[in-house]
Amino acid sequence: MTSRKSAGWIVLATAMLAALPNLAKAQMSHQHASEAACEDTALRCATKVTPAFAPDGTLWLTWMAGGQISVASSKDQGKSFSTLVQVTRDRLNLDWGPDARPKLAIDAKGDIALAFSIFRDQAFNGQVLTTRSTDGGRSFDPPKPITANNESQRFEAIGFDPAGAVFAVWLDKRNRVPAQQRGEKYDGAGLFFASSKDGGATYSDARLAADNTCECCRLALAFDGAGHPVVVFRNIFEGGVRDHAIVTFTDLATPGEVHRVSRDDWQIAACPHHGPSLTISSEGTYHVTWYTNGKARKGLFYARSRDGGKTFSDPLPIGQLNRSPSRPQVIAGPHGLVMAWKEFDGQKTSINLMTSHDDGATWSKPVVIADTTDSSDHPLLVTDRRQTYLSWMTKADGYHFQAIEGEP
Amino acid sequence: MKRHFLAALILLATLPSGLAAEAGTPKPFERGSWQKLLHAHAGHPTLVHFWGVTCGPCKVELPQLGRFMKDHPDIDVVTISADLVPNLPEATRSMLDGAGLASAENWMFGDGFAERLRFEIDPAWQGDIPRTMLIARDGTITTIEGSAEIADLDKWSATQAAASR
Repeated sequence: MTSRKSAGWIVLATAMLAALPNLAKAQMSHQHASEAACEDTALRCATKVTPAFAPDGTLWLTWMAGGQISVASSKDQGKSFSTLVQVTRDRLNLDWGPDARPKLAIDAKGDIALAFSIFRDQAFNGQVLTTRSTDGGRSFDPPKPITANNESQRFEAIGFDPAGAVFAVWLDKRNRVPAQQRGEKYDGAGLFFASSKDGGATYSDARLAADNTCECCRLALAFDGAGHPVVVFRNIFEGGVRDHAIVTFTDLATPGEVHRVSRDDWQIAACPHHGPSLTISSEGTYHVTWYTNGKARKGLFYARSRDGGKTFSDPLPIGQLNRSPSRPQVIAGPHGLVMAWKEFDGQKTSINLMTSHDDGATWSKPVVIADTTDSSDHPLLVTDRRQTYLSWMTKADGYHFQAIEGEP
Repeated sequence: MKRHFLAALILLATLPSGLAAEAGTPKPFERGSWQKLLHAHAGHPTLVHFWGVTCGPCKVELPQLGRFMKDHPDIDVVTISADLVPNLPEATRSMLDGAGLASAENWMFGDGFAERLRFEIDPAWQGDIPRTMLIARDGTITTIEGSAEIADLDKWSATQAAASR
């Protein structure tokens, strides 16, 4: 009797076990299929792809696909890629927010520092994880939290300074708890930073650069001519105005004064999910692009600073307002500045591009260099000191890596 | 005991179809959904609220909207989760439940091409949430970017009640 029941139980349990993975898969594909072309970890299935050139000219990509973070490299400017190396092993709830993506940086020795965010609980509290490779990207250490603090963290940015230290900056909600204990309202998140002298194996204690900044936009990080980190972020100015600010560090541990990039007067209690871009040209000029929907101006804008971020030029509007311009990127390449952004005409998304050969004083007419008719990642720009390239992941047409033609 | 366990298992096996049919599960918002929604509510004052599970200000505003819906049975309340995909049906539903919005007309972006979905609603909208659209009886749309002041919503609903007299 008991044994028969057990047999029935085993049959049913087996049937359930067989059915469960399909159920899980069906739910997964329901959640992911609409943004990714496929469900495995391959590059063509990625939703977010981030490029970086190593000092030796090798192109590295890191991407999010199949619920994992992977990397691959190319010795021929993106024509062919190495076999992928999976960085993560566990099934993590990777931060899939519109402004989140994995990042990597490569030092002169070929060591790789990599960082990404996960949602660590059901309330979508974030956690920044870092890892490194000391064998040229063949393997990565198990990812670990960048800070011991357990409040929500997201939107990390990392880079190697010229001396080979990793600088990391992210948005961190840790100051919300003491504020609430004091009975005070806490807006946004703190801009926290840390650095690593061992290639990203261990990071210094997290320190605050600016508090009450906008909590849901990516950060822009670049190094000035002296190797000091410069960070552009969407701040929360008085009255809940979410305009952009900039801070230049005097060394890896000391943030300088925070300056305002522009007075757009975007007073909003919302998550714009739309962060800025920053590049610093060999002339030492800071170049910033951003999105706003403020009272003073709406759309995409560009401005430059020739005094280390203290003052900025009048914002220059970018793109066609009736085509929903978004995701502006700017980079200083070997032949001048390149700016790229998305536009949407109701059917297709196009990547538009402008160049400047006078350090941002004047810009060429925009040209469309790529388009797609389904979802796509942000257009990213990257340079190997010989040329500038567009890196763009699309669902319908796969991964694009193309040299900016006619750029010299 | 074991039999109950088996029954529970069988129930589990039938869950996926059961879940989809259950009230409160947000409907997938796809290409063309916006026009259908406008058509379905034509002539009725309607509040359409765009939000997302990862958006901090949304978490504060959602329960306020739940109370607004309770206080204004004459206003059609529609929520659309516009957090970019992948959207999480369970998390979305549980936040709506917690906010007292389970009985609202709930949708969730169901197409990864969010640019196109947003363009159909408002070409100027870049995806910032929360966002509320107040659609008057005569079809006039007022858009509130960011968290709405409940006092403003009350004022608007009063004008709608007056318009019907």
